[in-house]
Amino acid sequence: MRHDRDVRIDGLAHTFDTGDGEGVRALDTIDLTIEPGQFVCLAGPSGCGKTTLLRLVAGFMEPSEGEVRVGGDLVTKPSAERGVVFQQPMLYPWMTVRDNVELGPKLRGVKAADRRETAQRFLDMVGLSDFAERRPYELSGGMQQRCQIARVLTNEPDIILMDEPFGALDALTRERLQDELLEIWRATGSTVLFITHSVDEAVFLGTRVMVMSPRPGRIVLDERAVFSTPEKNLDADEIRALPAYAELVDRVRHAIHQTEPSPSR
Amino acid sequence: MTDTSAAQVSAPAAHAERDPGPRPPRRKSSSGPNPWLVRALVLVGTIAVWWLVASLGLVNPVYLPSPGAVWDAFVQANRTHPIAPGVDRMIRGEYNYYLWEHLLASLQRIGIGVGAGILVGVPLGLVMATVRWVGIVVEPYVNFLRALPPLGYIGLLIAWFGIGDVSKYWLLFLAAFPPITLATIGGVRGVREDMVNAVYTLGANRRQALTTVMFPATLPQVITGIRVATGFAWTTVVAAELNNGIPGIGGLAYQAGTELKTPITIACIIVIGVTALALDALIKLVERTVAPWHGKA
Ligand SMILES: Nc1ncnc2c1ncn2[C@@H]1O[C@H](COP(=O)(O)OP(=O)(O)O)[C@@H](O)[C@H]1O
Ligand SMILES: [Mg+2]
Repeated sequence: MRHDRDVRIDGLAHTFDTGDGEGVRALDTIDLTIEPGQFVCLAGPSGCGKTTLLRLVAGFMEPSEGEVRVGGDLVTKPSAERGVVFQQPMLYPWMTVRDNVELGPKLRGVKAADRRETAQRFLDMVGLSDFAERRPYELSGGMQQRCQIARVLTNEPDIILMDEPFGALDALTRERLQDELLEIWRATGSTVLFITHSVDEAVFLGTRVMVMSPRPGRIVLDERAVFSTPEKNLDADEIRALPAYAELVDRVRHAIHQTEPSPSR
Repeated sequence: MTDTSAAQVSAPAAHAERDPGPRPPRRKSSSGPNPWLVRALVLVGTIAVWWLVASLGLVNPVYLPSPGAVWDAFVQANRTHPIAPGVDRMIRGEYNYYLWEHLLASLQRIGIGVGAGILVGVPLGLVMATVRWVGIVVEPYVNFLRALPPLGYIGLLIAWFGIGDVSKYWLLFLAAFPPITLATIGGVRGVREDMVNAVYTLGANRRQALTTVMFPATLPQVITGIRVATGFAWTTVVAAELNNGIPGIGGLAYQAGTELKTPITIACIIVIGVTALALDALIKLVERTVAPWHGKA
């Protein structure tokens, strides 16, 4: 894994062609640099363009304006350096859980024994070892999402892009996966762009918290957060009890509300 | 899917398998009478009514022979028997073939026709769905061919390939491949874009994306297409055997009918129907074996 590659987003904007000549402007000009090793959380109301931004960074589509560069190289298509955790787990039902997790190294031609070892490490980490020979559709939603996370981590991407990965989970599963994700991030030091519509999740996880305005999306708040850094040796409840934590949550919430269209509309 | 939080509170283990865990297999609903029992009773009832009508002499047996006569004809058609009662000359089954040989001949024809349909139809569908201009150019012709009743062009095939089996193979091939091709196209187009995006983010090249994601994701639809094609080919072959169809189960049914050997004709009709159902069940079984995720993911 290389941890010296930053993500530079330069004048990025996107308008979806809807065939009516007008189109939907989903993203307004975004300028942003994500430093290597940062855990960037992007919050914003639903429909504001968060997924659009993530898909542009992933290389799934071409931006209407501007560009994304990773370590100086222009992003034109998806690549193994940028792992994506989709909102819906995109697992392959014709493979076992283990084969799904091993898929990245297998595609790159890593020897069977080696990739098995890496996959096993991450299966252990997300607690799915006992389900390795099952098919994805035999797992619960939370387990499927953990499987997808293990699959992305096994492939050791420089940058991990996560689109509301815990959005469909209940509170308990979500909090546990948040803890696990932080542990993994501290252990691997990869760069993370994490999208969420939960203010608490953004402040809790990020080293940097951003807020996007409603469509067309613009960044309206960009703050450092320090609660997830390795030095902070506090558990989740202690962190959430810190006055500074509550303060940042307030500021982020305020930023989102300020940008929200008035209820009359 | 959302995890039920109730199930999770109760198990605060260390690495905490707090998810509800793997899903239990779906249970069949056990309400109401057993459908198989009902079906068996209806079948027995139908045969009883048939038997009653026949034995009361309400209908001339040439039109409606009794169940017993049909059974006897069925048994005799699978044996070497005297050519007529009291005559010494023996004959194999009907028209020198046992009934099962007639059936096998028809099955072999659809095997060849549908087999060729798969070999051509699946790759064609994949190419049509992935190479835009091929799809644009070829799709109208495949749709046209599919809209044609095969018996409408059997005459042309006989003119080209003669009255023997070759024209029948062609007929069944032309009947079988359009549904297979169209199902394959539908399968490819139905694959979620992010299923493919995901494999690219794992490092796949285009060929790997096709073999590890596109093909397996399309498989259930392809099998459904083969099922449709097989059913269609079966009805087609039976009808096509009106011309020079001995041996062949359709040929036998037709030939026997024209000679007023109604018991054997009815026996053939039953065999044809049961075979169609069996083929369908077989393909469903294949699907459940090779694509067990279908309908679950
Ligand atoms: N393929 C598309 N075609 C047209 N409009 C789209 C498409 N994808 C997204 N949009 C629109 O762009 C806006 C931003 O969408 P999205 O990035 O998914 O928002 P978010 O992830 O923040 O909820 C929404 O208004 C959505 O309707
Ligand atoms: Mg979204």
